Amino acid sequence: MNDNNNNTRSQSPPLGGGGVDLAIIGAGPAGYVAAERAGAKGLKVVLFEKKEVGGVCLNEGCIPTKTLLYSAKLYDNARNAEKYGVFAHDVQFDFSKMMARKNKVVKKLVGGIKAKMKTEGVETVAGEAFIEGRTGEGIKIVSGNQAYQAKNLLICTGSEAIVPPIPGLDPAAENILTNREILSLSEKPESLVIIGGGVIGMEFASFFNSLGTKVTVVEMLPEILTGMDPEMSAMLRDLYTKKGVVFNLNSKVTEVKGTEVVFEKDGEKHTVSGEKILLSVGRRPVTKGIGLENIGVELFKGGIKVDEKMRTNIPNVFAAGDVTGFSLLAHTASREGEVVVNNLTGRPDRMRYQAIPGVVYTNPEFSGVGLTEESAREKKIEYRVASLPMAYAGRFVAENEGGSGLCKVLVGARYGEVLGVHMLGNPSSEMIYGAAMAIEAEWTLKELEEVVFPHPTVSEIIKETVFSFWESNRKQ
Amino acid sequence: MATAIIMPRQGQSVESCIITEMYKQKGDRVSVGDLLFAYETDKASFEEESPVEGVVLELFFREGDEVPVLSNVLVIGAEGEAVDEFQTENSPEKSEAEAEVKVKAEVEVEVEAEVKAAMTVGKSVGISPRAKNLAVKKGLDVSLLNGSGPGGRIIEQDVRAAAERLPRVSPLARMMQHDDPKLVSATGSGLSQTVKGADLSQKQAEENDGFDVKPLTNIRKLIAKAMFQSLQNSAQLTHHLGADARNILEIRNKVKIAVEKGYPENITLNDMICFAAIRALKKFPQVNAHFLGDSMKIFHRIHLGMAVDTDRGLMVPVIRNADELTLPELSVRMKELAAACRKGSVNPELLASDAASFTVSNLGNYGVEMFTPVINLPQVAILGVNTIVPRPKDLGNGVYAFVPYLGLSLTYDHRALDGGEATRFVKQVAIEIENLEFDV
Repeated sequence: MNDNNNNTRSQSPPLGGGGVDLAIIGAGPAGYVAAERAGAKGLKVVLFEKKEVGGVCLNEGCIPTKTLLYSAKLYDNARNAEKYGVFAHDVQFDFSKMMARKNKVVKKLVGGIKAKMKTEGVETVAGEAFIEGRTGEGIKIVSGNQAYQAKNLLICTGSEAIVPPIPGLDPAAENILTNREILSLSEKPESLVIIGGGVIGMEFASFFNSLGTKVTVVEMLPEILTGMDPEMSAMLRDLYTKKGVVFNLNSKVTEVKGTEVVFEKDGEKHTVSGEKILLSVGRRPVTKGIGLENIGVELFKGGIKVDEKMRTNIPNVFAAGDVTGFSLLAHTASREGEVVVNNLTGRPDRMRYQAIPGVVYTNPEFSGVGLTEESAREKKIEYRVASLPMAYAGRFVAENEGGSGLCKVLVGARYGEVLGVHMLGNPSSEMIYGAAMAIEAEWTLKELEEVVFPHPTVSEIIKETVFSFWESNRKQ
Repeated sequence: MATAIIMPRQGQSVESCIITEMYKQKGDRVSVGDLLFAYETDKASFEEESPVEGVVLELFFREGDEVPVLSNVLVIGAEGEAVDEFQTENSPEKSEAEAEVKVKAEVEVEVEAEVKAAMTVGKSVGISPRAKNLAVKKGLDVSLLNGSGPGGRIIEQDVRAAAERLPRVSPLARMMQHDDPKLVSATGSGLSQTVKGADLSQKQAEENDGFDVKPLTNIRKLIAKAMFQSLQNSAQLTHHLGADARNILEIRNKVKIAVEKGYPENITLNDMICFAAIRALKKFPQVNAHFLGDSMKIFHRIHLGMAVDTDRGLMVPVIRNADELTLPELSVRMKELAAACRKGSVNPELLASDAASFTVSNLGNYGVEMFTPVINLPQVAILGVNTIVPRPKDLGNGVYAFVPYLGLSLTYDHRALDGGEATRFVKQVAIEIENLEFDV
């Protein structure tokens, strides 16, 4: 040991709370769920969070957007109540009250997580954490003037919105927003240009469209909502077009000039202007500034490289959530965190990605799980498909005057195992988990047919669609 | 009129043959000369050709079945012809097929634990009726179970315990296994370690278990029995001795050159060694013998057994009256026999262990320097031939040089021969090798 090393050591804070079984950096859906599970199982856990527990999901993502979207839905329903024989006159909304309620919901849930951490004996450290290196007993993590020695380390530092390198785009400009800034607006913009028609883009399009903002979506790809069932994505786009949202597909943004967005479509230049511009072109893992290099954690495509047990290349170091860079969904992150804790506490577990539901909380909701026809073809998996309009479920007709939607079920060509289920219509987000269970358990049509669905519910559409495989067989 | 194809009788001592491969299925159209099935006796394998043209109307046996010779194996005729008259009482097809259908039906209804192989309930293993019922229900192969009951009898508890050890299998994986019972998996990657369809593979079975259980072929069974009995029932030991190989190497070189110039017989070192052994046997008749417990059968002629390594296993065909043959004749005969063995077309009569009076086993080609060959009882000895290695030799006047030496390993049955006789015999073989004369 030379003097230099000794110097470095003496600068680093001494071990404060001593050793822990598990240190978790980042208290988003991966981190706080892992902390809660690990705490419940008796591990000594320290959880570091530089902002608020709950992460992007709770503070700047899932929860605030769903709160706002519910306000928008109520507003829509009130305005459309006539169809159901209910007359609500002079329906109005107050943007600032919507925002205030959103803040209240977030605050309540953040408080809930904090309380849970306490209950499970998790030490929560408010501050940035930095991985200093490996010692004989584990991994040394420093936060402020405290140092911790952890037997195991779980990294869940999440992701951040990508700011694309578009000429003229100044991320600091007041009118350029990401998911974070748009949730802090104090006034409803009159017009909004959304760059990127993915899930985040479409949910904000839905919200602001309901409130009467003139919304324009500029999407580089031929269809919005890449990864979801393209037929239903197009149906949803048609619905929103009718509601007044303007979609520009196959359109590449080439320049931003103040409030103007210049894009190229079919070789021609177009310009659209908006009071605000939302950037929702994607997210990237946060891997810098946490000291990964000090223990040699390997990266892959910008995220932390992990195996099916969420292990990194370094023993006792795990990663979960967006920082791994492939699923970018809160529920994936939580499950990944659980996989880590299960394996640490003696229950063999592994992460599976074939049954992760994806939901777009537009109105109507768009949900899917498993393979789409596109991805099945890509993977050269032979499949059969059946689809039925949502109106085959009586409850849907009762509650969706003039509403349309679709349910699509994909099964393996040979054995009829459920490969994918996709639904456009309310409340598909609440029933897609049933399909996820069938896929996880590798059920075939046979098993699914024997399940009793409550009547009358919209979920019956799944059962109807499953039986329509027999119909289509008979026709052939 | 339909034609029944019978299991041919291959040799007087053959009572039954095993069908190793069925090339045709029920309903297949066949022409004259089409291969119908492959079968093997204890000693060789054969293929049966169709003597007629038509449609395979019925198969009475399946692959792996042991079929008594002259039984009807299958019927060929015109479509729709009746085959009942050809049904033989030896055929297991009907009753077993029925049982299997019944078993499968029950399994379909009640499977909880999973089946990985075809049902073999009802083998000659001791099992209680309750255990048997449960095994059928659970789809367990009872031949793989260890019984904890009296005398190793399988009892219900054994089946229950085995069923609990089975991994849980997803509905998809179960259907896949139903289609292909060879698909197995030791680890499940699904919910709570449930075996998923993607976990199944035939390859994984090897990786996960580290082994395959394969039934022995008939030939293997015979070799196993013969070798074990040989070591159990005789007093074997081996003497090792070297022969100066310069002479036979020189002859071999001459043969090579002659063959290049068109000489027909490519006489090998092994041919020469066998020839030398035959000459030595003529001088030691007590080695050219069978030990029969209370008597010795001393042969007048030399029937030389030669060990041949084939894909199916070791075969030891015999060259009868080998003492009558010249070296080139012996060479031709040995090559013919070895080829016949490898093709599976050797006359089974030539493979019987008592057909030979003495055996030579040559591992020299493989570089073996010394081994202890196992006697083919009731023969009294076997000569193992090793590779040639250079060894220092006193050439006289204190001059030493490296000389190529051929290793000879003679295993003999001490009940029949004493060490002195055995040593003198193997020394005689060396002398014959060193003094072999042959002009191309």
